[in-house]
Amino acid sequence: MAKIIVVTSGKGGVGKTTSAAAIATGLALRGKKTVVIDFDVGLRNLDLIMGCERRVVYDLVNVIQGEAGLNQALIRDKRVDNLHILPASQTRDKDALTLEGVEKVLDTLNKDFDFIICDSPAGIERGAQLAMYFADAAIVVTNPEVSSVRDSDRILGLLASKTRRAERGEDPIQEHLLITRYNPSRVDLGDMLNLEDIREILAIDLLGLIPESEAVLRASNQGVPVTHDDDSDAGQAYADTVARLLGEEVPLRFHEYQKKSLLSRMFGGVRR
Amino acid sequence: MSLKVDRDSMAFTFKGGMLPMTVMELTSADPERIREQLAGKLSQSPAFFQHTPVVLNVEKLDEPHLALERICAVCRAHKLLPVAVRGGPDPVKQSAWALGLGWFPPQEASRPRALESVVGDGDVEMAEPLEPAEPAGEEAVTPDALPGTTAGGRIYRGTVRSGQQVTAPEGDLVVVGAVNAGAEVLAAGSVHVYGALRGRALAGIHGDAQAGIFCRELHAELLSVAGNYKRLEDIDPRLLGTTVQVRLSDDQLGITPLA
Repeated sequence: MAKIIVVTSGKGGVGKTTSAAAIATGLALRGKKTVVIDFDVGLRNLDLIMGCERRVVYDLVNVIQGEAGLNQALIRDKRVDNLHILPASQTRDKDALTLEGVEKVLDTLNKDFDFIICDSPAGIERGAQLAMYFADAAIVVTNPEVSSVRDSDRILGLLASKTRRAERGEDPIQEHLLITRYNPSRVDLGDMLNLEDIREILAIDLLGLIPESEAVLRASNQGVPVTHDDDSDAGQAYADTVARLLGEEVPLRFHEYQKKSLLSRMFGGVRR
Repeated sequence: MSLKVDRDSMAFTFKGGMLPMTVMELTSADPERIREQLAGKLSQSPAFFQHTPVVLNVEKLDEPHLALERICAVCRAHKLLPVAVRGGPDPVKQSAWALGLGWFPPQEASRPRALESVVGDGDVEMAEPLEPAEPAGEEAVTPDALPGTTAGGRIYRGTVRSGQQVTAPEGDLVVVGAVNAGAEVLAAGSVHVYGALRGRALAGIHGDAQAGIFCRELHAELLSVAGNYKRLEDIDPRLLGTTVQVRLSDDQLGITPLA
């Protein structure tokens, strides 16, 4: 039985796809058989972040419409054996997805994988609702910014009402908060919301905190999920996040502003 | 010809508004029976009958011709002010207009009854009832249900999130948790929030001026008691973040700290 996890946020551009790719990679590196599905039909991005855009032949919509088998569409990651990617279609739109079709795909993947990561599109419409509908857990990606927090709050309301677990009255979806682009020095200056304010408003368990980092942009453009960059702060923060997802107790890092001492300035330290 | 409109010379502007409105759902067209029931209710809760505007809902009646004029007279005699009629066939619509009343099309069949329905986009959470619903009937207004009490109230446990609406259509609403920005909590009676109130809180939605709003931490976008409201901008900044009660006195919404 696979655990289905949706990575969602409501707001666009907060780091859903980056996080989905990084977490899926982290799980696979920890030996879990993982598939990551791009639900953003029409705005296909996950394949770029995962660096497999040149190997896409069939996609999720082809599978749902019966034009290709699931095994034809799944792309095996080049770097990690346990990791597969199911890309979205760039030429269709979100209406091409059906609830029954998504259910069938997930049921089939369920038998072969430990984790199914669903990379949700932005918004609260059909595409986002289909991505979350069958989930067992949700990772709500939030930036330290008021509009992002409010949209995450909205998504949490939908997770509690518009999912299969909610409709069937089963145990509710596990809700996890992932804060990305956190910059402790700007939090200190009052430019960004601080961690405690976000936790208080959203009132869900904190899964991880990813610092604002040059490593993330570099990773995106190179098509190598940032988890592979284990020298970087963001890479380490995603590894911590994955460990917590697997039930380990890991202390929080990168949330406090540390003035660099002369020594660490001279010898480097964690690369940003 | 100039297209410029001088703001000072304008006599009025049209604005959309959502006002709390009592709907009187008629199950009998007999003015005598209506009069008897109104007289009984008037003695039980006189506070409710203060020229309260009502919409007469005649959807449940299956009569082409109503004694609308007599029904309106009975209402006015009991300090209810009919302002419009909802539903009914064409002759009813015509006679409503003739009496100077507005006419609303019937409610869509799919939607629940007005006072129990919640407007919004569907992800509405109805909280658990505080006590079993009272049997509907002659004794719908019991002495327990006087203004300011909790009969038919609801308790909601958890965070009310942006986009959600929680309503207690008949009594007080108790929220054990926060009400976040973009969320809305409404009650016929008072609203109690044991947490931060960041969204909108509307108490006394059917006109109960005795209702109040109580919260542990005030950051509300909007506070309203019986249609009198204050926006966040109107609230004294010194009160923000404090524990307060909100009450209506002399048609003014007063916010005072709760010691």
